Amino acid sequence: MTERNRGPHVLVRSPGPAAGTVAGRRDGLNGRRRRSVTGSPWTPYFFLAPAALYLVVFQLVPLLQEVWLSFTRTTLLNPTFSAWVGTANFQSIFANPAFRQTLLTTLVYVLACVVGSVGLGLGVALLLNGRFPGRPVARSLVTIPWAAPGIAVALIAVWMFNPQYGILTRLLRAVGIDPGASGVLDNPQLALGAILVTTIWQLVPFVAVVLLSALQAVPQELVEAAQVDGAGRWTIFRVVTWQVLKPTIGLVAVLMTIWSLRRFELIWLMTRGGPIGSTRTLVIDLYAQAFESKQLGTAAAIGMVGIVISLIVIVGSQLVARAAAKEA
Amino acid sequence: MPASPSYRVRALSVLALFSVGAGSLAGCSSSPSGSTGDASAKPEAATITIAASTLGDPGRGPALQKLIDEYNASQDLVKVEPASVPYPTFGQTILTQMGGGEGPDLVRFDMPEFEAAASSGLLEPLENKIDAKKLNLIPGPDKYLTVDGHRYGVVFEDSNYGMYFNKDLVPTAPTTFDEFLKAAKDATKGDAFGLAFRQTQAEEAGVWQDIFNYVLGFGGNWSDGTKLTINSPKVVEGLKAYQQLYDANVIPKGADAATFRKMFTDGKIGMELNNGGYVSHVASTNPNLNFSVARIPFPVKKQGALLAPIVTNVNSKHKDADLDFINWLLQPAQQVKLQEVLGASSVATPTERSAASLQKFPFLPALDELTDTGVPQIVEGFGQYTPDIRHVVVTEVLAALQGQQDMNAAMEKAQKQAEDLVGK
Repeated sequence: MTERNRGPHVLVRSPGPAAGTVAGRRDGLNGRRRRSVTGSPWTPYFFLAPAALYLVVFQLVPLLQEVWLSFTRTTLLNPTFSAWVGTANFQSIFANPAFRQTLLTTLVYVLACVVGSVGLGLGVALLLNGRFPGRPVARSLVTIPWAAPGIAVALIAVWMFNPQYGILTRLLRAVGIDPGASGVLDNPQLALGAILVTTIWQLVPFVAVVLLSALQAVPQELVEAAQVDGAGRWTIFRVVTWQVLKPTIGLVAVLMTIWSLRRFELIWLMTRGGPIGSTRTLVIDLYAQAFESKQLGTAAAIGMVGIVISLIVIVGSQLVARAAAKEA
Repeated sequence: MPASPSYRVRALSVLALFSVGAGSLAGCSSSPSGSTGDASAKPEAATITIAASTLGDPGRGPALQKLIDEYNASQDLVKVEPASVPYPTFGQTILTQMGGGEGPDLVRFDMPEFEAAASSGLLEPLENKIDAKKLNLIPGPDKYLTVDGHRYGVVFEDSNYGMYFNKDLVPTAPTTFDEFLKAAKDATKGDAFGLAFRQTQAEEAGVWQDIFNYVLGFGGNWSDGTKLTINSPKVVEGLKAYQQLYDANVIPKGADAATFRKMFTDGKIGMELNNGGYVSHVASTNPNLNFSVARIPFPVKKQGALLAPIVTNVNSKHKDADLDFINWLLQPAQQVKLQEVLGASSVATPTERSAASLQKFPFLPALDELTDTGVPQIVEGFGQYTPDIRHVVVTEVLAALQGQQDMNAAMEKAQKQAEDLVGK
């Protein structure tokens, strides 16, 4: 029996569990346990196995290995030998003021990336959702920064921030901001800002496209009803549009947070974490510990800190989303 | 009485062990190059790999490959093939491979990676296989290839740092630091700069190489071999000289090495401190550039050297073949050819420059004379910690350049951090 000829009950359940999901099927069959298509109760496990195997081999095992490494003294030059040191790696990184500065820099970088990219992305999405001549072309053009390879973006940004002939350096000087003779990327006060501008420039199209697609789901009848009731643009956005966008924005914000936490190539190529550690984020620190200092144990401990931060963000966002759903 | 089966098995085992042991010993003694440069002993047939960043150098790579091809053609047993390793991560890639029990058979390492690999047991000891006296190895650089009493390599390339100057911008080579500063100031006009050096964190390793010359040239060093001396007055004096030039606005600040080297070959930079390998690059990029090289005009005749040994990977399965290639390379005829390949760099043994080279680059003897006073860019006695100490020192020096602290305070902080790192 196919999904379609099981009757309309299943197909009209939107926006609840999708028709194809297990919950949807169960509800659709009024709680009756459905036999598998092939008749064997093992069939779902068979189809799940490759994905599960992939997750175990390429995600779970390395993760467990990282957890174990973080409690050992292991060097890159002799990775087969590890000495158990307990929490010494964690104690040493947290005792180091430079690491605390790294955490702060990471926090600033991630927050700015999320706020900047989601804020600007929302603005661009709203603009692209309006009607204006050349809209299809604008929608295509806006994706270019996202499509550009990160390494190319970083190298072009370095060129644009060049202290002698960089166009952005000249622009800054023209508006009265003097980055100094050594330029923006070598100025501890401006380097992180330059990296943020570049990162946000690259992220905005992704956010804009995702939010633009979410905007298509805003019920026009609600918008029109609000207009009839005399609601202004801001009220319509707050009461109708924002309510529809909220789950997508939450998801995008989580994605941006995780991606920003692990962003490496842009920062490495633009400043290598300098000047004077002002752009040294967790990932840069991890790389430097693993491949320059060759201390895999310490690098793994830094990685664990990153994982814990990611988990806090994910769990926190889930809790917020659940609370919001309950409230609704 | 016939031997019992268990006795026979035991006897056979002993015999087999003896055979294996004897075979191994025979293998050791018949190692072709185990005889200290004796090229007459034959290695087993094998294909081995060599990793050298020089092979990726557009100027010198093809010539080195030609030399390797010459070795391959000279005999039928050993074939040397290049291992392709991207230059920007050369050291890391090779060390990671070696740490994992793999990697190329032969490697041309830079000193920080050499020290790290040697102190981690990743290199084959060569003290019983290389006779420095018989091979006439130059003792100055050769002494740095012994770690904890074991020789782990021989010099492949020793590139001394000299002062490159554009004779159109700096007609006469300065001979003192004051003249150097004045020449840099005089040459800075229009879109030309008197000097160029690296001064950004993004080029940490390059900054380290550059400040090394200032520290050595003013009589300092990062350690005395047993104790770190980062905050010593001579080190600070050298770094203050570096800062003086930075503050004099005679360099293209913020420009990376690729940019200012392009500027040098375009005739827009008056002077640059660089190693001998740069000669080939400059000459091939702009054959018409009117440049020369002289000794760095700092008070003490000591300067950095880009010392690069060739080593055998301890994981190599064909160590006799590796050694055969090394010994072939150390023969006088090959040393001359290697030096021609490497341009202005020196090699493991004293060699005569060809008349053609001398005519093309009359300053080569001045660079060669620096071999005995060249110091590899590692922290002596703390070689394996060099990358960490480098990071600490460069970060503090750059903070001083940015005006966040004075150089004395910077080096006090660096000394403390470095001592914490090495545990002394």
